[in-house]
Amino acid sequence: MILDLHTHSVRSDDGRAKVANYCQWIKKKDLPLDGVVLTEHRQFDAESDYRELEDQYGLLILKASEVETDYGHVLVFGVNEDMVHAFDFARIDNPLPEVLAAAKSCGGFAVPCHPGRRNVGLFSHYEERGPVDDVEVVEIYNGGSIPGEDERSRQEADRYGYRGIGGSDSHIVSRIGLCATEFADDIATMDDLVSALRTGRCEARTWRT
Amino acid sequence: MANVDIATIRDEWVGRVFQELDLVVDRERMLDWAISCGETDPRFVDPDHPDFQASTAFPTHINVARMLPDDFPQIGTGGIDGGKSIEWQRPMRAGDRLHAEVQIADIYAKTGRSGTMVFIVNRMTFTDADGAPVATVDWRMIRQG
Amino acid sequence: MRIEDVELGDELPEERPDVSLETVRRFVKAAEMDFPRFTDHEAARAEGLPGAVIPGIMSQGQLAAMIHRWAPGCSILSLDTIFRTSMIVGTPVVCRGAVTDIDDDGIVEIDVTIISETSGATGVLGTARVRLT
Repeated sequence: MILDLHTHSVRSDDGRAKVANYCQWIKKKDLPLDGVVLTEHRQFDAESDYRELEDQYGLLILKASEVETDYGHVLVFGVNEDMVHAFDFARIDNPLPEVLAAAKSCGGFAVPCHPGRRNVGLFSHYEERGPVDDVEVVEIYNGGSIPGEDERSRQEADRYGYRGIGGSDSHIVSRIGLCATEFADDIATMDDLVSALRTGRCEARTWRT
Repeated sequence: MANVDIATIRDEWVGRVFQELDLVVDRERMLDWAISCGETDPRFVDPDHPDFQASTAFPTHINVARMLPDDFPQIGTGGIDGGKSIEWQRPMRAGDRLHAEVQIADIYAKTGRSGTMVFIVNRMTFTDADGAPVATVDWRMIRQG
Repeated sequence: MRIEDVELGDELPEERPDVSLETVRRFVKAAEMDFPRFTDHEAARAEGLPGAVIPGIMSQGQLAAMIHRWAPGCSILSLDTIFRTSMIVGTPVVCRGAVTDIDDDGIVEIDVTIISETSGATGVLGTARVRLT
């Protein structure tokens, strides 16, 4: 089962894609995706209900968030009422250890994304400040990376023993599915996804040329 | 650039019209704009065409001359162009006498490859001599922290 | 181009617009933004830029021109572009577009991008709403 774990819709300030248009694009282009996770910037979209689209297109649509920390951007999966009160999703300087701890204690899972990127990537901060405990998984394939960024992500992930996931980081419809994550087991819910990320029964994939 | 400051500034400034201007759409500038952008459609590059009009992005440059209200608080430095959007209600034609109002539509902070950034969205609304809407341009101006 | 000739997923013909110094100079004069950062590599580098940069709004204009060539007679109702990384004057770029939605009332939505052919970086991305004839 393949999911794009990092996508943005019009609910993000720089997102220009409607979720329905993602769905019809995936089907029209016959992309090998079984679903997407919406990771809107600095917020959790508790309101949108995509069940009708899921049924119409036969896709899994889950919701998470991309938050900003002092070590770069981080995807948080399994967001719930407890987590949104544990730290301020809108802040741009959340301490990474606090985000990792909050995600864990609330039953979720946090994954630093595009870690090879300057300033907003985990590894650019490791140079000066050293590694952070409790990071287990990072995004090693990101559809928005410029040349060199994903290479660095993979090298550093290997060095620190982190597992990897992939996501397109799409902000427009036609970028969906450039990178994704393949899961060994079926994923039907966010709980399934968090479990799979914890156990590592998944593998990053890329279709970027 | 703490978030609390941005929130306060947003509450105070968003929605305020801080500048108005009147302008006449210049034929030569329209033409030069279209040609240098690579337009080949005669509607944009032939002044004698019966439907001669400004190319799509033409009104975006009118924002360049004005940045922020005089008494707007100092946030970060620089003024990088983070993006422009334009929405058209009707074509803009040579000789049109237009009125424009400028307001701050949004202010928010985020981080990117170049560091901490504050986005100030500057919205310019164009109307014609009858007050009918012509176009709206949003300019996402980036100040760096 | 008529609405019945368009399918979801159609790609617009790629274009490689003229981003020479000469053309950028003509553009900045028309746009009343004749600043050295757009027309002088040395001056731009002194500002910390990698070289003279193509104005974002010129890129936006080039994307509009691509759409107008793809669908002669069309009306672009909106064009929303995000300027992500600087594109350098004289360095080749490619403009791309893809149809991502078709409305019942003859309006199509198009994703647009401009990519540096040397670095592979996406300099501009956005969307357009276009009424076809």
